[in-house]
Amino acid sequence: MSLAPNYGPDQGTWRCGRCQLPLEQIKVPVFYLNSAFDVFLPRCPQCGLSLVPKSLAEGKMREVEALLEDK
Amino acid sequence: MLDQDSLRAFESRCTQESPPRCRAACPFDLDCRTFLARMAEGKQDEARKLLDRHLPLPHVLVRLCDHPCENTCLRRDLGGSVALHGLELACLLNTDSQERLLPLPPKRYRMAIVGAGLAGLAAAWDLARKAYPVVLFHEGSIEDTLLIRFPQLRQCPSGKDFLAQDIGTLTRRKARFQRVDIDNGLLERLAAEFDSVLLDADAAAVLVPEESRVDASTLLWKDNICCAGWPGHTPTGHPLALPSRQAGQGRYAAQTMERLVAHISLTAERTKVQGPLRTEVSGITPVQRVEPGVITQDGEELFNSQEAVAEAGRCLQCECLICVRQCAYMQKFKGYPRLYARQAHNNAAIVKGLHTANSLVNGCALCGQCAELCPENFSMAELCLAAREDMVARGVMPPSAHEFALEDMENASGPECFLALPDPDMPDRPAWLFFPGCQLAASRGEQVKTLYDWLRATLNAKGLGVALMLSCCGMPARWAGRQRLFQEHMKRLHDSWKEMGRPRILTACASCLTALREGLPEAETFSVWEIMDGLDITSLLAESQANTATFASMPPVFSMHDPCNARYDAAWLASVRNLARKADAVVEDPPLSGATTACCGYGGLVWCAQSDTADAMAAHRAAQLPHPILASCIMCRDRLAASGKECWHLLDVLLPGMAQHSGNEPGPGLSARRANRASLRRRLLARTGAIVPEIAPPPCNLRIPQQLLTKLEKRHILLTDAESAVAGAEATSQWFENMDNGHRLGSWRPRNVTFWVEYSKEDGGYTLYDAWCHRMIVPGSGGQEAHEVIAAQQCCTDGGRRKQP
Ligand code: SF4
Ligand code: SF4
Ligand code: SF4
Ligand SMILES: [Zn+2]
Repeated sequence: MSLAPNYGPDQGTWRCGRCQLPLEQIKVPVFYLNSAFDVFLPRCPQCGLSLVPKSLAEGKMREVEALLEDK
Repeated sequence: MLDQDSLRAFESRCTQESPPRCRAACPFDLDCRTFLARMAEGKQDEARKLLDRHLPLPHVLVRLCDHPCENTCLRRDLGGSVALHGLELACLLNTDSQERLLPLPPKRYRMAIVGAGLAGLAAAWDLARKAYPVVLFHEGSIEDTLLIRFPQLRQCPSGKDFLAQDIGTLTRRKARFQRVDIDNGLLERLAAEFDSVLLDADAAAVLVPEESRVDASTLLWKDNICCAGWPGHTPTGHPLALPSRQAGQGRYAAQTMERLVAHISLTAERTKVQGPLRTEVSGITPVQRVEPGVITQDGEELFNSQEAVAEAGRCLQCECLICVRQCAYMQKFKGYPRLYARQAHNNAAIVKGLHTANSLVNGCALCGQCAELCPENFSMAELCLAAREDMVARGVMPPSAHEFALEDMENASGPECFLALPDPDMPDRPAWLFFPGCQLAASRGEQVKTLYDWLRATLNAKGLGVALMLSCCGMPARWAGRQRLFQEHMKRLHDSWKEMGRPRILTACASCLTALREGLPEAETFSVWEIMDGLDITSLLAESQANTATFASMPPVFSMHDPCNARYDAAWLASVRNLARKADAVVEDPPLSGATTACCGYGGLVWCAQSDTADAMAAHRAAQLPHPILASCIMCRDRLAASGKECWHLLDVLLPGMAQHSGNEPGPGLSARRANRASLRRRLLARTGAIVPEIAPPPCNLRIPQQLLTKLEKRHILLTDAESAVAGAEATSQWFENMDNGHRLGSWRPRNVTFWVEYSKEDGGYTLYDAWCHRMIVPGSGGQEAHEVIAAQQCCTDGGRRKQP
């Protein structure tokens, strides 16, 4: 089971509201039920604020959550 | 969960895998149903495989068999039994043997058979096929022995020599034949020389005792000697050849011989413990037996290929599935209870690997309809609830399955919504406590208030006080398999109830009634309908009948829908009908009502764990009801109405001034239900003159179009979740900005879920455009700083390897 690694925003150009910097695809560890994965998410290079696009939350992420819950 | 023994006991109650009558009557366990299915498809080669697999001496037997299967066939009174005998013959004539003779290494134990009757030959067939060295001792020629008894073997259709074919196969399987004089000396010699001996009770009758002197459960006579194949007798005492019985005994005795030489129990697990298959035949139209164009001189029917397809097509393909036909959930999982019991059991036994039956276990509404319909009372509810409790106890229940419903339960019983109100005029020791249930309070606050006032007025006049309690009954915890949580909840209800002076409880919800009766056994709990039915309700009706708006729109006939939790509650079932009648509503009972009623999909928290299954249940139920529905449970009412069917609640025909609740309106959404509960509590409390603290204003002024909210609630995102996410993102300045349209995107993780909100900021407030959620923890979102989350998780990010606990 794996999260395909790279997820950009669903649409639009986003920047960090705090740092006013454009987001970059940066590796982030994500966690669920004793498991951890690396994914590339749109992220603020300065403060680390990370964006989870809707298509990821309701697609692959939900799938992997269900899989881990049934493990 | 279930150990192997109790699983077996559980499983064995579902008879879906029991053989249909034809197969049960066949001494050779021929899978007649499948045979006929293949014949009906015109796949005679496939059908032939079954004959080869199950029948000893297939040619001889098919020609001779007295077909007991046809005597019991369920088609018998529906156009005539399926012509199994004729179809087997047709199959045999049209096909060649599909069996390849595989050379097997010979077994160690030597078997002797005395007498070439049908029993002896059948036993020789079976043993030789399993590679036992077999010697068949016979007097005179084998042909003569059989032809004297079964002269019809002389004329076989198409001029084939059936006997020669089967003897040929026996020889190729290395059975040996030896002509001898059959006498006691022979028997003594063989018993000593061979590992086991079979005496054919027809062809070696001189050596064989009366049938009654041989143990029928094994056919073992003495030492290593079995006997089989006694001819029957006509009522006038003449010997009567019964080929199926004789050959069947031969096979049975051969099995005993195998057990004997292998030193295993002669009786253990020989007959399966399972009830007979029940097949529902009401509504099946009779179809007459196909008359074949050719019938031989001695009356043998010869079906050509076309006729065979038509005749085999008359088979009902008997099976039970009585329960499955009525349950949308069981249909979805494409099996039947016996299989489900095994799957649930295996699921519990998995230590490493995927628990593929979790959704099976969490999809049942626990409604109990199957147990009522099943002739053996198999209860999927019992099975699935036990499995859930077991999963919870072992900590392997998927957290997302019931969490949302349990939070709702907590909210409905928490400070915002809980209320214990003494009767204002008779505050001490009230006789009654009205417990409307959290869903009625959520959906029909005004009706709850009106009903409470009427109950008080009516009962106070008799000197009886009526207190009120707003809370969830705890049923969600029970359904989720969370026994401990259920008990804790009950303990709290118990304390409040005791404090009120132990009143008798009146409830308007069938689930509450069940939960309270189970969890609060010291209290006497009744349905409010039962008590209302015993009171004079004219004052209530006078007002309501003056409300012409309601009554003008009342359908001329309702289909009554009973809640599944009240299926065995005779008082509930009777009183709701009485009350409807008193209110001039005409109700009709659908075929499945009362004890056999179906679930709306609310039961068992399916609505939360698998909303598509729950919706299928509601649609399935609504489709069974021809008229607009009258329901006596608010969740049934709201769910059936949401499926698109007009559905009224009993209170809609009883209470005045409630015309706004047209039967077509869907119930309130999840967010509104919570708000309604809190608001009812405040209104009731305010009436007592108590000072009700101001409700905390929402954390931000967020506009959400109703359509969007309805969509979000399907993903279990409530209005309050969106509001606090916007407020949280703004307070921490953790949001992104869309450079194209200025939208903001923020997230908030108040519990095990991260909520994302896309919104814009305007003067004095915000507008929501979309929201989504996930359970995974993503550092740098949800209101927490990335480095803090990563430090807290203390985890190697190795791409999926499990962390050491
Ligand atoms: S209808 Fe078919 S399955 Fe049922 S008993 Fe008759 S032959 Fe067997
Ligand atoms: S939903 Fe009801 S009828 Fe269906 S299996 Fe569960 S308890 Fe039985
Ligand atoms: S009604 Fe259902 S549980 Fe009962 S025997 Fe038939 S298939 Fe099995
Ligand atoms: Zn930043």
